[in-house]
Amino acid sequence: MATVLSGNSAAAWGFRLSRVQCYPYYPITPSTACSEQIARWVSDGALETVTINAESEHSAASQIIAAGKSVRAGTATSSKGLLYMIEVMENASGGSIPCGFFIGNRATGAPINIWADNSDAYAMRDSGAIQIFTADAQEALDGVIQGYRIAEDLRVRLPFAVNLRGFTGTHAYEGVEIPKPEEVDRFLPGYVSTMPLFAPAKPVTYGAMLSALPYRRHKRNQMAALKNAVEITQEIGREFGERFGRSYGLFDWIGDQKAKLVVALLGESAGAGEVVVRHLQGKQGIPGVALLKIRLFSPFPAREISRALAAAGTKAVVVLDEGLNHGGVFPPLAQRIATAVQLHLGSHAPKVASVIGGLGGSEVRQEHFQLMFNLADNIAEGKASRAEPYWLDIDEDPIFVENENQVNPKLWKKWGEVWKQQKRKEKYFSPLPQETDEVRIYSRAGQGAITSAVGFTGAGILAGRQLLTVPAFGSERRGAIITTDTLVHGGGGQKIRSFNRTWDVMVLYDDTILYSPEHQALDGLKESGALLINSSRLTVKKLREQLGAGKANVRVFTVPAAEIAERLGLKHINMAMLGALHRVYEKIPLEKALPYYERHVPKPRDLSLEAIRLGYAECTDQGAKKRLKEVRLPVTEEFLAWRPEDHSQIAWPSEIEEIRAG
Amino acid sequence: MATAEERVLDSKNRHMEFTVTGRLVTARPREATDKNEVRGSRIEDRVAPSASELCAPEILAIEEVAGQVIDGIDSKAILNRMADIGPEARLFLYRPQGNVARAEVFEDPRICPEINRGAVIENLKEKPKDVSGWRTHDFIIDTKGCLGDECGRCAVMCPENAIHLMGKGKGSFHEIDPLACKGCYICWVECYRTAADCILVDGKTFDAAMRAKHFGE
Ligand code: SF4
Ligand code: SF4
Repeated sequence: MATVLSGNSAAAWGFRLSRVQCYPYYPITPSTACSEQIARWVSDGALETVTINAESEHSAASQIIAAGKSVRAGTATSSKGLLYMIEVMENASGGSIPCGFFIGNRATGAPINIWADNSDAYAMRDSGAIQIFTADAQEALDGVIQGYRIAEDLRVRLPFAVNLRGFTGTHAYEGVEIPKPEEVDRFLPGYVSTMPLFAPAKPVTYGAMLSALPYRRHKRNQMAALKNAVEITQEIGREFGERFGRSYGLFDWIGDQKAKLVVALLGESAGAGEVVVRHLQGKQGIPGVALLKIRLFSPFPAREISRALAAAGTKAVVVLDEGLNHGGVFPPLAQRIATAVQLHLGSHAPKVASVIGGLGGSEVRQEHFQLMFNLADNIAEGKASRAEPYWLDIDEDPIFVENENQVNPKLWKKWGEVWKQQKRKEKYFSPLPQETDEVRIYSRAGQGAITSAVGFTGAGILAGRQLLTVPAFGSERRGAIITTDTLVHGGGGQKIRSFNRTWDVMVLYDDTILYSPEHQALDGLKESGALLINSSRLTVKKLREQLGAGKANVRVFTVPAAEIAERLGLKHINMAMLGALHRVYEKIPLEKALPYYERHVPKPRDLSLEAIRLGYAECTDQGAKKRLKEVRLPVTEEFLAWRPEDHSQIAWPSEIEEIRAG
Repeated sequence: MATAEERVLDSKNRHMEFTVTGRLVTARPREATDKNEVRGSRIEDRVAPSASELCAPEILAIEEVAGQVIDGIDSKAILNRMADIGPEARLFLYRPQGNVARAEVFEDPRICPEINRGAVIENLKEKPKDVSGWRTHDFIIDTKGCLGDECGRCAVMCPENAIHLMGKGKGSFHEIDPLACKGCYICWVECYRTAADCILVDGKTFDAAMRAKHFGE
């Protein structure tokens, strides 16, 4: 039975099941929750681990390295935190210390940006650690456990990092199988350091100074051990599959075994690519397509990837990099693939083009994969392509140009001839089928929308479906508008991990959201969709006016959630909204969900359950029977009452005057 | 030989107790004090070893496995597996309390086998480097003056680990390894017997002016 976990908690479970003995940490978005989870377990007594509240990432990394000399150690970090750790990272790889890092990948700025890309992992690539990229919470959990097996293998003994895309990976809630601890113990026996730091019978010195001759010989050894990790990652991934039913390799080849066109990438963005590959496969006039989802980035499995491409007879590879290589010819992944195929396949090498996308939280959407396969098709045909990266979603520098006035004139001077050869082919852009239902909740931070969506996810999984919930927020304050998106898949068959971004159900926790100038809350709502709103004052007529023309078929539901919560004495409206959501989205019936809620809703359980039932019962698409008095919970009042101006214009001057007078 | 008075430091440490004898601070487990058992001040006694946990595993080549009887492993099968791998085969043997807890055959990844993995130095295996060329003076301990295993201050302070205890109890003394001594004067400054009385520089006790400079006498 799958448990609903976020990517961060899944990684924490990985550390827990690996029985890490020491976990020093310094929290940073978006991997904070992993360390918080470990700290909570330790304080609850569920986990016997020495946690250290380090004063910086530099110290946390130094501590994990010191601990790793004798015991199994791990930590989590992101972005600048990882960059701050890199300074000491080579002491782990050079010292042959197999400690584990979980990285919630995030941009490194400047400008400051808390969202996802691979810049941090790319910055780490020359520090000698094994780097594994994972695409969802399950892979992250399994990746941490396997990471320790690979890193502690006597042929390797090097640090490892498991990477997961920030937010869409680390904060996405989905069903995860948590392996049984006894089984993990059999797979991953306890760590025995070959050179423990404090063994009295065999005192050792780590990090002593070495002159050029032994230094270069040592580095030769270190490289040999890192190279071994390719074979061992494969071996261990296979063994993991035999024991737990989920096999892992060096990369996943998704799609046609004889694919002429391949898009290669790392990690979570593959979700959108999979949908496109399935859609394009076998379409008229489209050569075989496949996605090369690379799991082991360092050491790079150059020979294995080249062989796979040669065996498929691939003609063109478009490599997506979610990060840069400042001053390099190609960004890191494209560079590795281009050199690998040149060295291993020579004149038979497929053509390689590079695309940069997904930077600083930019979404890599399904249509981007359509573009990339189109680009691969063009270069396979021998059309010229750039000897530098293409970019996604830059209006002045598109991959295909309809009209030259649309692009930056300087670029047109340079790449005009190449652009003229690159034609957009409509066969790649046929509309994608939508196999999922998508629910978006607009709420204010602090209203409990994420809790309710996570509950909905768990209940849906219990009812036999696949669900994925991704909250999206940034540096807002409590009370700011956030979104929580849930994807519901029919269950069985392929796993879908990509949003189409057209909404079947739109939920508004608060009618004031309708009037936020920054959010067009009703955009993207399907015509056949439904709108659910917590309101005791808006009439259905008024809502229809808001929806405007073209949305006449949208069903509009209202629920007096605040009023229900007040009646029950609850602080939050989220449980009533959850009940109402089951009324609106009938594919997950409430009676099938209730057994899950009975065990998982927030305390006080009976009141929460009652709120769910009342929310379900009082949700209506007929408009409120009688206009209820407007109810707002204190927490909402607090959000709405908060005005920065109030402080600056009223409170401040009087105080200043007082000070002056005094 | 007169020993200085022993004084127990007021410390909140629950496990260790600290005593001061002259200028020497000694740590020992709390229990030992209850039994009134006074232990020596040599380095080995100051660490509280929990040897079972912190036992280093052995890494053996095929000849080393063949050349000894190892209880608790199937030597034949292991030797066969090692022979299959070739000369790079190693046996990782972990025997925390004399019993085999882990025995794993693996292929040594090193290209340059004389360098330890992680460039880790095994302190006891490390051959002493001849640093005598760094010295401008010879340092010798006057064995008659040295307090032997009652003291050991110089041995602890020497950054080159050049000072060794010879003998035990009454009549024991310290000796400086002339190859390992780099001539830094630390022992000379730190010697409990107010330096020059005990540690001779070029065979002489040092002159009064130098002494006054160092000790303000
Ligand atoms: S002079 Fe320095 S190196 Fe030589 S024995 Fe004394 S402390 Fe050690
Ligand atoms: S030489 Fe001095 S410091 Fe060293 S043991 Fe002898 S008396 Fe103590």
